[in-house]
Amino acid sequence: MDSTSVVDVGRPAVRRGTLSQFLRGSLKGAEYTWAVAFVVPYIAVFVTFVAYPIVYGVWMGSEASLYRELFADPIYQTTVVNTVLYLALGVNVKMFLALLLSGFFMRPGWWTKLLLLIFVLPWAVPQVSTFVSIHWMLNGEWGFLNNALYKLFHIEGAHWLNDRWTALGAVIVSHIWKWTPFWTLILLAGRMAIPLEIRDTARVDGATGVRGFVYITFPLLANLYLICTLLSTVFLLGDFNTVYFVSGGGPANLTHVLGTLGIRNAFDIAQPRLGVAAVMSALPLVIPLVIVLMRKLRTAEVQL
Amino acid sequence: MARLTRRSVLRGSAALGATRLAAPHIARAAVTTASVWFAQGFVQDEDVALRKAVADYEKASGNKIELSIIPFAPERQKIISAITSGVVPDMIDSNPAEILQIYGWQDRWVDVSDVVETQKAQFSETALQAAQAYNSVTKKRATYGVPLRAAVVPCHIWKSLVEKAGMKLEDIPKTWDAYFDFFKKVQDNLRKQGERKVYGLGFQVTANGVDPYNLFMAFLLAYGGQDIVTKDGKLHLDDPKVKQAAIKATAYLGGAYRDGYVPPSAINWNDADDNNAFHAKLMVMDVDGTLSTEVAVKDKHPEWYFNEIVTHGVPGYPNDNAGKPIPSIVGYTNGLIPKGAKNVTVAKEFLKYFIQPKVIGEFVELGLGRWLPVMPALAKSPFWQNPKDPHLKGYVQQGLLGATIPDYYVFNVAMAEVRTQHVWSLAMIDVAKDGGKPEAAIDKAFKRIEEIFAKYKMA
Amino acid sequence: MSMLAVDAALASARATTRAHRAVRVRRYLAAAGTVALSVALVVWTLLPLYNMVLISLEPEGDVFTDHIWPRVVSVESFWGVLTQSHWYLEHFWRQFANSIYMGAMVTILTLVIGSLTSFSIGRMRIRHGWLVSNVALLTYVIPASFLAIPFYRIMQNYGMANNLWSVIAALVAFATPYAFFVLQEYGRSIPIEVDESARIDGASPLQVYLRIYLPLMAPALVAVGTYAMLLAWNEYLYQFLLLSSKSSMTVPVALAQFLSSDQSPWNYMMATAIIYALPPVAIYYAFRRRMTAGLTMGGVKG
Repeated sequence: MDSTSVVDVGRPAVRRGTLSQFLRGSLKGAEYTWAVAFVVPYIAVFVTFVAYPIVYGVWMGSEASLYRELFADPIYQTTVVNTVLYLALGVNVKMFLALLLSGFFMRPGWWTKLLLLIFVLPWAVPQVSTFVSIHWMLNGEWGFLNNALYKLFHIEGAHWLNDRWTALGAVIVSHIWKWTPFWTLILLAGRMAIPLEIRDTARVDGATGVRGFVYITFPLLANLYLICTLLSTVFLLGDFNTVYFVSGGGPANLTHVLGTLGIRNAFDIAQPRLGVAAVMSALPLVIPLVIVLMRKLRTAEVQL
Repeated sequence: MARLTRRSVLRGSAALGATRLAAPHIARAAVTTASVWFAQGFVQDEDVALRKAVADYEKASGNKIELSIIPFAPERQKIISAITSGVVPDMIDSNPAEILQIYGWQDRWVDVSDVVETQKAQFSETALQAAQAYNSVTKKRATYGVPLRAAVVPCHIWKSLVEKAGMKLEDIPKTWDAYFDFFKKVQDNLRKQGERKVYGLGFQVTANGVDPYNLFMAFLLAYGGQDIVTKDGKLHLDDPKVKQAAIKATAYLGGAYRDGYVPPSAINWNDADDNNAFHAKLMVMDVDGTLSTEVAVKDKHPEWYFNEIVTHGVPGYPNDNAGKPIPSIVGYTNGLIPKGAKNVTVAKEFLKYFIQPKVIGEFVELGLGRWLPVMPALAKSPFWQNPKDPHLKGYVQQGLLGATIPDYYVFNVAMAEVRTQHVWSLAMIDVAKDGGKPEAAIDKAFKRIEEIFAKYKMA
Repeated sequence: MSMLAVDAALASARATTRAHRAVRVRRYLAAAGTVALSVALVVWTLLPLYNMVLISLEPEGDVFTDHIWPRVVSVESFWGVLTQSHWYLEHFWRQFANSIYMGAMVTILTLVIGSLTSFSIGRMRIRHGWLVSNVALLTYVIPASFLAIPFYRIMQNYGMANNLWSVIAALVAFATPYAFFVLQEYGRSIPIEVDESARIDGASPLQVYLRIYLPLMAPALVAVGTYAMLLAWNEYLYQFLLLSSKSSMTVPVALAQFLSSDQSPWNYMMATAIIYALPPVAIYYAFRRRMTAGLTMGGVKG
């Protein structure tokens, strides 16, 4: 369709604007009312259920003395380290795997399709169910993993959840297990959006395999990959379920992340404001991330 | 009314009308509903007993009770959310027990001494003490709780495992260290028989839940540390007896784990995991509050309940190393009325009804005896003194009739924070896992305790 | 033919065979690699799920077994869940219905609100619309676990305590920003001229939305809807905090009861968990093709 043949319905005759022009932009009259009406539901939801709780929460966590007490707590320092590790490894290993697997799943054939079907199960099955199962699987004395290791390979498995690092590793692996399918699907979709002509041309030119990936595919996916990484980081920062169900924050409060520490402070030691402070302390990291994300999303062009 | 004649009905309704006019306050209470939150029991019978008591009250009084039975752990969190947000029910049970003192300090409870008065003579001394809290706003102690039921920490033992090891439970020594060493020997014998997965001692060397604190305090008392906090609320960490006791307790408990006599997964147990492990015969004995270990299997495995598991309350519970008996710490579940509750009147009425000896006695008994009554007279009932039941008599003797003391957070609320911060757990784990020395672990713990106590200055 | 020619022919033939063999070997290696990767993927994916099934089939409800294949298969636990025969499961069907209701409402509301807003911002190009979608991202700035306590208080204020709608509201608020992301991206692939020509023909914005936008966006809507539903189904913290009575609880909260009990029949718990997992899995499989299309930001060109 030739765009020049379409009448510009929206552009007003006079360019230099009145205030109403500034506010409404290019919509007039009834249309503007409709546009506003369409946006109002979300704004209402946002104000009532996001803005107000955030303001209330910030007010709860706004005493400087809270932070002094928080930073002095040795558990907090452990938690920060855990959270950073969890983010760094959890997000990056998962996204990298997703990238590789998305390439794998591009192959034709019923075998790949069947595999993809199975592969998506961790995402589709609720985490309450699966993480509890993982928690028991990892039990040192009677967990399935150690039983299998012993019966099949005669290895005495370690007490996975007894040691800070193996427990943290278990949490990270659980997270990767659950979420890689989701991000693989997204990257797969991104790959499929690459126009066939480009892929064909690349193949003809001999840019296949690794070369094809490095020079053709990845540059096209790069923006999507970055957005996904940022989004995943933001999601992960607020993650509660994984640590709570897999390691319970133990042993001895050594595998908490900020999300679970907040809840523990609020409820286990009955100091809700300290809990809020724990989570708020992540803000200096989160806000820049979200700003970058916002900018990326605005200018994002995920296809040619 | 002997016979319901028209005149008597007319007279009755006239009287009712008069009452309505004369005492509108009472009438109003009669038509409103009170919301009550209570923790779900660990066996179904407890909930059934509670519902029965509530239903009986509704019938007797004409008031309505909106009862929410909430699972144990979630209820804790809901209570905190409720009190923080200011939107509270009319009555809650003290879950965990120390919220009575924690929020009493913050002046969040309604004074219920008038309710407790109605049955004051019936309650045990310790129960009455534990129902009080120091209020930092009024700078006075007051009664904020209505004692409902109690729990004490006996020892639970698999007699069958002891016998399997070729030893006899009757031979067990009666002094503290030797008593627990006995189980180490049981484990050694069982290992010789090829039992890879059995451990002698089920110590809850974990930083989760309330069990580790109860365990440590039992040991602290046994080694002579009972003056750690005195009735006036003062902390006595500089008392050499207290310090020695703490070091010995840490050494024994942490050492048992380190030496392989405690299931390794214990380090990550929560309050239910140790019971599950016990039922799976993962360990020969544990030190755990209430009779939940036994009551939970009574239905499905009566042979366990009646023959194989033994409870060491009193008699049975070991004496200290010098042979002297040790008092037991008793924890209480109190009924609490939060400030800001909409229907304090009905809540109080319900509590007054609930603590009548007949009602509360029945409630506790219908719960299969997992919890103890708080009135010594009730302990003499045929239920508790049943000769055919191997557990109840010893349990009630230990927790109600014998030498009991309230937990230390009753004297100073800071101890509650020591409990929730798992200070003792961290000391035990230092020795257990990281090969630390008990003295260093206790030095760290004491420092932390002092920091915590410094936050709560009592007048 | 001279000897030289024959030799040359033979040499080249041998080289070709060698080349063919090399290619064949490479192909076998690639195939073997694919098989190995596939097997690894399957084992990795199914391990925790297998454990769930294993425990649910235990007759005694003990987790403390040390065999890795089902020794005695007993479906007693599944039957127990379906007939609500254990006291923790008394209200199972009610709670299951609550979960379904909540999932459905979250899905529908996210779709409606998300698509309306995306339409207004992306198609009608309302001025400062980008502000709305960016501010929406603020929802993710503060993690969900932080908002839990303020949320509880606020729900009390709104009179929505112990009400499924409090959870629904929270989840819709969390799912919508992501919906914007997907819908905006997908919408880029639909030329704006389609809308404009419809408007010239006299269609009102609502009609454009209903007759043009929604049908064209169908794959993206499926993707968003599935995501919203899975979010609702996966969520635990808010449900657990905001729902306190047995009749308003959802299944994850009911499952949590098993975890804090002294003598839980673990096989019942796993059976419950498996039954709870069936609806989202079924829905995902029913919609997966549409869903992948929806995630393809704009479809395959060319």
